[in-house]
Amino acid sequence: MDASSSVWSGSTRCTVTVTVNMDADTVDLRETRKENLYGRYSYGRYGMRAGIWRILDVLGRHDIRGTFFIPALDAEANASVVEAVLGAGHEIGARGYAFEDHSALGDKERETLGRAHEMLTQITGRAPVGWRAPQGLLSPETLTYLTELGYAYDSSFQDDDLPYVMSCPNGRTIVELPQFQCLDDSTLYATRHTHDRLLKTWSEEFEAIHDQGYFANLTLHARGDYGSGRASRAKVVDQFLGIMKHAGGVSFTTCHELASWWGTHYPQAEPAPV
Amino acid sequence: MNPTSMQVKYRWPSGVRCMCMLTVDFDGPSHEIGRKLRPLGINAWGRYSGRRGIPRYMDLFEKHDIPSTFFVPGFDAEYYPEIVKDMHRRDFEVASHGYLHEGWELGDEEEELLERTHKILSDMIGVAPIGWRSPSGRKSARTMRVLKRLGYRYDSSDKDFDLPYMVRIDGQRLDDMVEIPNNTYSLDDFPWYKFSMTPASEVLEHWKQEFDSIYAEHGYFMLTFHPRSGWGSGTPSRAKIIEEMIRYIKQHDGVRFVNLRQFADWCLTNQSEFE
Repeated sequence: MDASSSVWSGSTRCTVTVTVNMDADTVDLRETRKENLYGRYSYGRYGMRAGIWRILDVLGRHDIRGTFFIPALDAEANASVVEAVLGAGHEIGARGYAFEDHSALGDKERETLGRAHEMLTQITGRAPVGWRAPQGLLSPETLTYLTELGYAYDSSFQDDDLPYVMSCPNGRTIVELPQFQCLDDSTLYATRHTHDRLLKTWSEEFEAIHDQGYFANLTLHARGDYGSGRASRAKVVDQFLGIMKHAGGVSFTTCHELASWWGTHYPQAEPAPV
Repeated sequence: MNPTSMQVKYRWPSGVRCMCMLTVDFDGPSHEIGRKLRPLGINAWGRYSGRRGIPRYMDLFEKHDIPSTFFVPGFDAEYYPEIVKDMHRRDFEVASHGYLHEGWELGDEEEELLERTHKILSDMIGVAPIGWRSPSGRKSARTMRVLKRLGYRYDSSDKDFDLPYMVRIDGQRLDDMVEIPNNTYSLDDFPWYKFSMTPASEVLEHWKQEFDSIYAEHGYFMLTFHPRSGWGSGTPSRAKIIEEMIRYIKQHDGVRFVNLRQFADWCLTNQSEFE
């Protein structure tokens, strides 16, 4: 264990956030039109009809509160799902309006973020404070616009083992909760790995993170293609959560709670990259 | 090339059975910026190299007392000057690796880009780099002519042999520049973590098999990895298997870890041993 093991408080050795990207029809609509959302373009719908409920069950069984990032249009089309997520005590974060590539929105970006924010606020009854970039893509202005809307954190970068704080050109700050591709179900299932190999990759990564006292930002999807919503895959999530819980000294939090805690304990900001 | 050279035993310095080189390609934000992508969100992988990966590997090599070579794109040196200076201060070799990790045909731009990175690194650490590795593995006869003019003493980009050999330019065999071939297909981390997302423990077993066969042939074992997140070995579980690989190699008799400068120096003064 190195010096970073001391970053957490109390008996916490490693902090874990369980996040779910609730990308549904908006993903499939990047490739086809609404009247074609059948057959191969219905994996997103699977996530809302079946997948998300299994993930909610698993989290409930482990008594873990997670953070669910959802594109505004998917939230609008699946209000009962959003209600169930909130009802179970989880956090809802923003994930674009229609799963846009924010690096390519240009002068429409500020308005798009505002529209998604307003819509999600209406649907959930509270303003989201966290954001995760659809497709992982941001423009140099995204973080600034997010701070204007009151966002406390972003969780899209892949550049650190621990959270950190960035300052935007407008003087406001935002906490970054970085993720890793190898702790994301979609990258492993999209490259057609088996359940066993995914569990192996996750376990090895978690063990090393836990050894070093870092932060694990698990990223799940509910979709029927590369997500963890199907029965066999929800079981993998169940097993993995069990492994993490048994490692000892693991603190599970929502992204919002972690961002608040981090921003209070380590407020020193570095300039946001452009 | 001597066709019987594969049977030659103990061509290395006395008592050395297998020369071992762990090489790190910095590949920071240059990789994305060269492809017109901002180092933001998912494309911030290269920033991991500067923030975490490079310091982690410098510590690891010091812990195990292993010399190493870091191939640094000029842009990344400008982005993280303190880290590159620290690398040199801590006695690691700093070598060149393109400016923006150019992975495309450069045409007439090439000469200026090679000179630019050469100057950036030379000015930053006060010593001119003598080694080069092609970003993305592309190079040409022109590349070698420019490197020769700039005073480079080795290149480590070609994939065409298991042993070092003297560089030929325009049919002429040089006696002051050596090629140290690498193998990006198997002895590099990125194919395993980019194309197949193989679990780290399986990559470790694969590299152990590579080492066993090279050791049996009395060859040299050169591993290349990238300290970034995403398709690199910067992140914790993947860095851990590099340490396990070091421990595995050290269990063998007659292994010697060197950086590429040391290896090239030995090659240049012992040309008859391998060619």
